[in-house]
Amino acid sequence: MRALLHYARVWLAFARFGLMRELSFRGNFLIKVSVEILWLAILLIFYDMVFTHTRVVAEWSRDEYLFFVGCYYALGGVIETFFLINCSEFSELVRTGDLDFYLLLPANEQFLITTRDLDWATLPNIFLGAGVSIVALVRLGWPVELGRLLLFLILFGCGVALAYSFLVILTAASVWLVRNQSLYEVWWLFTTFMRYPREIFTGRWAYPIGWFFSFVVPVIIVTNVPARMMVKALEPELAVYTVLASVVLVAISGKIFRLSLQHYRSASS
Amino acid sequence: MKPTLSSLPFEQADCSDDSGSVWPRASFLLEAGKYGRILRIALVERLAYRLDFILSTLLRFLPMLTTILLWLAVYAGAGRLSEGELGGFSLNEMISYLLLVHISRMFSSMPGLAQGIARDIRDGNLKKYLLQPISLLPYLLAYRAAHKVAYITMTAVPYAVLFFLCRDFFAGWPSAPVLLAYAVSLVLGFLVGFFFEAALGMLGFWFLEVSSFLYVVGTLNFFLSGHMFPFDLLPATFAHILKNLPFQYLAYFPAAIFLNKVPQDMLFSALATEAAWAIALALLAGWLYRCGLRRYSAYGG
Repeated sequence: MRALLHYARVWLAFARFGLMRELSFRGNFLIKVSVEILWLAILLIFYDMVFTHTRVVAEWSRDEYLFFVGCYYALGGVIETFFLINCSEFSELVRTGDLDFYLLLPANEQFLITTRDLDWATLPNIFLGAGVSIVALVRLGWPVELGRLLLFLILFGCGVALAYSFLVILTAASVWLVRNQSLYEVWWLFTTFMRYPREIFTGRWAYPIGWFFSFVVPVIIVTNVPARMMVKALEPELAVYTVLASVVLVAISGKIFRLSLQHYRSASS
Repeated sequence: MKPTLSSLPFEQADCSDDSGSVWPRASFLLEAGKYGRILRIALVERLAYRLDFILSTLLRFLPMLTTILLWLAVYAGAGRLSEGELGGFSLNEMISYLLLVHISRMFSSMPGLAQGIARDIRDGNLKKYLLQPISLLPYLLAYRAAHKVAYITMTAVPYAVLFFLCRDFFAGWPSAPVLLAYAVSLVLGFLVGFFFEAALGMLGFWFLEVSSFLYVVGTLNFFLSGHMFPFDLLPATFAHILKNLPFQYLAYFPAAIFLNKVPQDMLFSALATEAAWAIALALLAGWLYRCGLRRYSAYGG
């Protein structure tokens, strides 16, 4: 418990330092925030354009799909705000040998490397995504029950844990790939499976792919399970699988990260 | 993030001083040899990180897959899976379009170019172009061309497999003149993309930090180039505006040529307009470079 408190204090210090740095360049910070809003606007234009041509996409109605978009955007915001900026710098730490400094500090390496900074500019994404989801729920006339909301928050947390684990595994790959400098791009490409409803994976060749990326590499379920549970129906087996998968994957990604550190050869010494 | 240009080794040629000039003036053969060597070195550099390259190439196919499946679901939802059109595009044409824009972007995307120029200006590394017998824009053009050659060569096989698997979505090969026009539009798309990004990078002479601005442009570009979907799906007024901007040459225009969406009798004039944009952007980038050099103070470095 004391260790947890210690890490919480360290993390708060990181967050405070990051905020001070961001506010030193306020203009830049505001532009970064406006880019995120612009991207959400483009997503919503695309969404609106699609639904001017059809009333349903893969069993998702206009408002249900809007909730899905909001849910994905909020989840992406959590990953970008708390972890992505740190993980994207890992390959450079490996390449230059600067990783030595973090390995010598008296703290958990994975904690230091994946959480040492906060991308404050993407923090509004979480609220924007939540806002879009709430608009969708209002339009659906949804009576938000407490139990359903709690279950949604648990599954959303599992989705974050799954996404974080995949990010850690991709980050760890930097040690073997030497130059994995395009982690932002790799991450964006990988998360393409989180952006769409699982039901689009239908048909002779698409179904096995959807199954593989739901149950073997469980990336599709990251957004699908919480969003579906909230606006469509709860699938208990899938919900239990999501919880178990998140626990297992967090453990596996931690092991892979440690393994990658064991293969690290300091470039500077 | 791409490697910094300053980190690249290159042989120093012993030709005459043309520092400060935008384009080489000395003997053409000597200049061609020099930039040919840059092309070769950049190729070797690109191939040095094979695993990273293969991983990102494989992952690049994932959005194509999900986009195709999404549009299949959209057409199914609209009841136009087997016949009918959305915005003048049948399902097969839409899937073909979404595949073809990746070929367009393969030529026209310039990741890190503007950022690299702005960084060289800010860090003072730009002065190497002023001290050495090498010019900024031709050097970067040769460097980018090498990256494109390496990328296109290494992804030719996976793309060929992908297009073979998706061959049923295509109505067949277009006629020879259309195919030729398509090839020309891709090369011109490369030039439009290069000079547009280079001109953006030159803003580094006037502004200390341009990365956020570049991020805004990049985000808009994804939409304005037609990368997400063909403009024809938008209301007519918006579609008309977007078809008159140079961004369309980065993704939409080559794909539209391939799919016979540009009437054959208008091909020449359409390509001439694209070439005019490429020339205009090249002149703009060169002009900005010359103007910028007048205020350049070579800090740091």
